[in-house]
Amino acid sequence: MGLKPKILLVDDETAITANLSPVLERAGFEVAVAAEGEEALRKVRATSPDLLILDVLMPIMDGREVLRHMRADGNWTPVILLTQVGDSIERAMALEEGADDYLNKPFDPHELIARIKAVLRRARPGQPPLTAGALLACQGLVIDRRSKRVRLNDQEITLTPKALVLLEYLMTHPDELLSRERLLDVVWGWDYPVETRAIDTRIAELRRVLNDDPNLPVFIETVSGQGYRFIGGVRIQDAHS
Amino acid sequence: MRKLRPLVYPIILMIVTVIFAALLWRGVLPDLILVVNIDLGNLVFIGGAVTMAAWIVLIVLWNRELTHSVNRVQYEAADEKRRFLRRLDHELKNPIMAIRAGLANLEGISSGEVQNQALSSVEAQTLRLSRLSSDLRKLSELEMRPLEKSAVDINEMLNEAFNLARDQPNANDRELKLTLPQAPWPLPVIQGDRDLLFLVVHNLLDNAIKYTSAGNRIEVRAFEDGSTLVMEVADTGQGIPDDELCHIGEELYRGRGARGIPGNGLGLALVRSIIQRHGGQTIIRSRAAQGTVVTLRLPVHSQYK
Repeated sequence: MGLKPKILLVDDETAITANLSPVLERAGFEVAVAAEGEEALRKVRATSPDLLILDVLMPIMDGREVLRHMRADGNWTPVILLTQVGDSIERAMALEEGADDYLNKPFDPHELIARIKAVLRRARPGQPPLTAGALLACQGLVIDRRSKRVRLNDQEITLTPKALVLLEYLMTHPDELLSRERLLDVVWGWDYPVETRAIDTRIAELRRVLNDDPNLPVFIETVSGQGYRFIGGVRIQDAHS
Repeated sequence: MRKLRPLVYPIILMIVTVIFAALLWRGVLPDLILVVNIDLGNLVFIGGAVTMAAWIVLIVLWNRELTHSVNRVQYEAADEKRRFLRRLDHELKNPIMAIRAGLANLEGISSGEVQNQALSSVEAQTLRLSRLSSDLRKLSELEMRPLEKSAVDINEMLNEAFNLARDQPNANDRELKLTLPQAPWPLPVIQGDRDLLFLVVHNLLDNAIKYTSAGNRIEVRAFEDGSTLVMEVADTGQGIPDDELCHIGEELYRGRGARGIPGNGLGLALVRSIIQRHGGQTIIRSRAAQGTVVTLRLPVHSQYK
């Protein structure tokens, strides 16, 4: 990707696009702006950007609809959704509709830059992202994201709802260092005291159920003082295999 | 008690009717007739008419009482909403004003330390607004989101919250103490959402540290009272004056003593909401200049003991 990655920023709030664009440009991206959904779709077709930042709440055609149109056309350009409501259903939907990642407004602009870089690193041009897969597999571990079921070596395993959300996020974002803050945001959607062990206890639960030795992990690696990383290779599995 | 009031009139009348009927039945009335010189048929007629009239008056009164209390509930809800909006407006106004002042300040200067100061003050205010929006979302989400209940080890949860509070930079000149019973048995395991219960204790300890000063005591204690688990966070801080105590815990309410102390008046509302969702009670007792104790009462289900 020798050239600067092209980013299309879609938000109807000009106050936001006017201030975010220079920040992203300084971070090394080429930025174009669209103020509504139709314009965004036109620009996607005309300029084929490397990544879209899509606000969910927009008049006329909202961000989800833009995303659905793109995916229905077989366009797998990476998308980061900017969600307004932090509720868990909205967050889960963001990933199910084929967005690569999401951020809750209001967010720290530096976090957006970090997300963009991570998504671009993971993206495989022209191919669906892991977030678009209904069944994700990593060795003997298979997660069915529609029915919320997890199987390990053909045995069904039970997880608490929050551990399941966490596993799903880890598996859709493999090889990425995920901070505790980010994971708390994934599980809760609002800022939870960061110093807590809330995430560590969920990770411990996942490791126990997945038989993953923290010293010799196959799935979840601890990055000391920074967070966690899913180290297994994840692929989208056909529903029939 | 207020709910029982509409029942008072019918109960009295019922008793009167029963007494009247009993007198009639026991044959006491004919003796009375001799005294007042009136015949039995007339007496029964008059008595019946009086009872009937009383019942009608009563039904009218009862109806009025009921509509009145419905109106009162509606009025109180509307009043609370008005207060909430006024506080929200206030809570938004200050940081926005500070941001505008900071930006105006930035226009006039080109570089250097003054600019950095103005910038960091603007940033601090936007963080304050972000926190406010996040806390409001927490509150609204708490009412909708299903609780993720599991067996919560209260001992361990209180220990973690306590240790976190003790490690706060402001806490080291307070005297912090955690008392947990071991005899005859340790605290029962509770069915609840551990993350949310942790947030409750964390918020209460945060408040205790904020509203105390160097040398004050902060105590966290818990015990089992039959079918109830009682947790308390107590402090010898500035306390809450009587006239403010009834508003504490209302969304966005901040007392006079909270001026200049960071916060947005949503912490206790959050505590109340979480405890209520767990079928428990939050009780706040406080004396100005003496301190505050927040008592949480949570039901213990015997099968989980």
